[in-house]
Amino acid sequence: MAWGTVSLTIPRLLKTTSFKLGALCSLLFAFCFGLFLTFTYLTTTHVLRDQLRTRVSDELNAFVTEANSDGTDTVVQDIKERLARPGSLLSYYYVGDARQQKRAGNMSGFGLRSGWQELDAEPAAALLAATDEDHQIWGQGQRLADGAFIFVGQDAYHVLAAQEAIINTFMWSGGLALVLAIGAGLAVSISFLRRIDDINKTSLAIIDGQLKERIPVHGSSDEFDKLSGNLNRLFDSNDALLDSLKNVTTNIAHDLRTPLSRLRHKLDEAQNSATTIAQFRGHITSALEDSDKLLSTFAALLRIAQVESGSRRSGFATVDLSSLFERVANVYRAVIEDDAKFFQVLITPGVSCHGDAELLLLMIVNLLENAIRHTPEGTTISLTLNTQNAIIADSGPGIEPGQRTKAFERFWRTESSRTTPGHGLGLALVAAIAELHEIRISLDDNQPGLKVTVQFTNL
Amino acid sequence: MKLLLIEDDVGMADFVKRGLSEQGHVLDHAASGKDGLFLAAGSTYDVLVIDRMLPELDGVSIVRMLRATANHTPIILLTTMGGIDDRVEGLEAGADDYLVKPFALAELTARLNALARRPAVNIMQTTLRVGALEMDLLKRVVKRHGRLLDLQPQEFKLLEFLMRNEGRVVTRTMLLESVWNFHFDPQTSVVETHISRLRAKLDKDFEFAMIITLRGVGYRLIDHPQTA
Repeated sequence: MAWGTVSLTIPRLLKTTSFKLGALCSLLFAFCFGLFLTFTYLTTTHVLRDQLRTRVSDELNAFVTEANSDGTDTVVQDIKERLARPGSLLSYYYVGDARQQKRAGNMSGFGLRSGWQELDAEPAAALLAATDEDHQIWGQGQRLADGAFIFVGQDAYHVLAAQEAIINTFMWSGGLALVLAIGAGLAVSISFLRRIDDINKTSLAIIDGQLKERIPVHGSSDEFDKLSGNLNRLFDSNDALLDSLKNVTTNIAHDLRTPLSRLRHKLDEAQNSATTIAQFRGHITSALEDSDKLLSTFAALLRIAQVESGSRRSGFATVDLSSLFERVANVYRAVIEDDAKFFQVLITPGVSCHGDAELLLLMIVNLLENAIRHTPEGTTISLTLNTQNAIIADSGPGIEPGQRTKAFERFWRTESSRTTPGHGLGLALVAAIAELHEIRISLDDNQPGLKVTVQFTNL
Repeated sequence: MKLLLIEDDVGMADFVKRGLSEQGHVLDHAASGKDGLFLAAGSTYDVLVIDRMLPELDGVSIVRMLRATANHTPIILLTTMGGIDDRVEGLEAGADDYLVKPFALAELTARLNALARRPAVNIMQTTLRVGALEMDLLKRVVKRHGRLLDLQPQEFKLLEFLMRNEGRVVTRTMLLESVWNFHFDPQTSVVETHISRLRAKLDKDFEFAMIITLRGVGYRLIDHPQTA
């Protein structure tokens, strides 16, 4: 059966884990039941047989004592009397003389010997013969001093009946329980298979490229619902990742094609149209600059990938954010002033967090440099560190509300910033660093301008 | 200078060999970690240039082994692009500097020069002097021809690094790493801004400019006027 066609068939049901588990439980149950049955059977039989044996042997001993003291004739007479009495239906006797001739009793002497015997026998009384119970005569024989032979027996039908009853009871109840167990196993397996089939069907659809398919959730919040929910979330994040991967691939191809063709063009010019060493040098220098730019784009991509891999998390330590911000402010104050912009700094002392100092520095510098690079002269840029968050704001042109979520994608650039140098990877790196530190970053309107709020969660 | 390059990439090794030989350096080359360790331990070099990724024995292990045998030859580790973790590991092992591939030859040369002339033992200097320029590290005071220069802390740090590397080329990257501890390439003119501010205070109204820009390479602090 191909994986593509999922249906409920008996062989499939028999292969399910739940059915196998059910079957195993039923087998264990049957085994225990069997053990229990054997034990009950043996003890009951033993007790009943013992009782019967004691009775028979007591009676025989009484006869033997009587024969020894009063003679065998007395015993013969005694047995005849007993048999004539009502209520002796279950008792069997035989007395034979030394020549094996029967002298009294309600059974034939054939096959009788000394010691304990269990004989198949037709019941003596018609009344008992009418019942459909099995009958056996259990008894004991003994040869007397004068050669005579006495056998005393009892019909053991009640022992046999008890044994049969025990077996019947266990067979019926055991069988019923087994059938119920198997039925329940099948029912659970079917519902289990249905849910699994849902998951399989959705997975197959997704493998086939229908990426928007999701596993139905029944709302019972059982483990299957939880599994389905988690898988759906996995599919969602996969979907998002695939989307961003597609974007990145397209963007890399697009963004690198332009500088590469420019590089090629310059080399071409150097080869074909440069006539003086100075011209030649000029072309080569500018080609080198282009290749450096390309390399820095790759370095930035690799850096993002490295941050995203999470390997830096092992080196996390306490980072003094206040002094880190002071450092950044001191370095960039001159840059901002020389760029004819205003710089407002407000740093709360003593703020620290758990993280990677180098990456946090990279994040703040990236955000601040964005504010410097994408704003016109006269802009006010502010750097604020509170005990809860950090805010980097400017009074520049800002980012359109609809574009703000896209801003963290690789190679994203505003239309107006296409002409300024940069590779469009700064905010993607910021997002990666924030994610690593479980930092939430939001872009808001600074009225006018852009306000970036860095919400630390692990202060 | 007598240098040892331990590098398995033939193209890279050729590029470095040719460039450094032209500048008059003597260069030995080993293509594997084991050969390199053998050479480094067997003879005296001014600086070792070791690639981090090598067959048989990696660069960091070589550094560790050399330092364990009290070999204090300055070492530059070459690391691959984007390897932000590599730097810390290399420096902890005992390397003196690191350089990310691919690099410009001028960058390697500048760093080799800076390393080779680094004093063997760190003598606690309290004053630095370059020509008529004087820096008191304790009082945080700088004078040129006895005239006090009013420097901001950032400018002071920058000048201190330039003075410690007097006459040598310092690259933009070296300044970023040493003065500001920036191990990345900023997108704004951080270095240029601070250099120009320092220059305005250092060279203004004096007979010659002490800070020279070497286009595409870096800066140099000189103690006498350049002859064309």
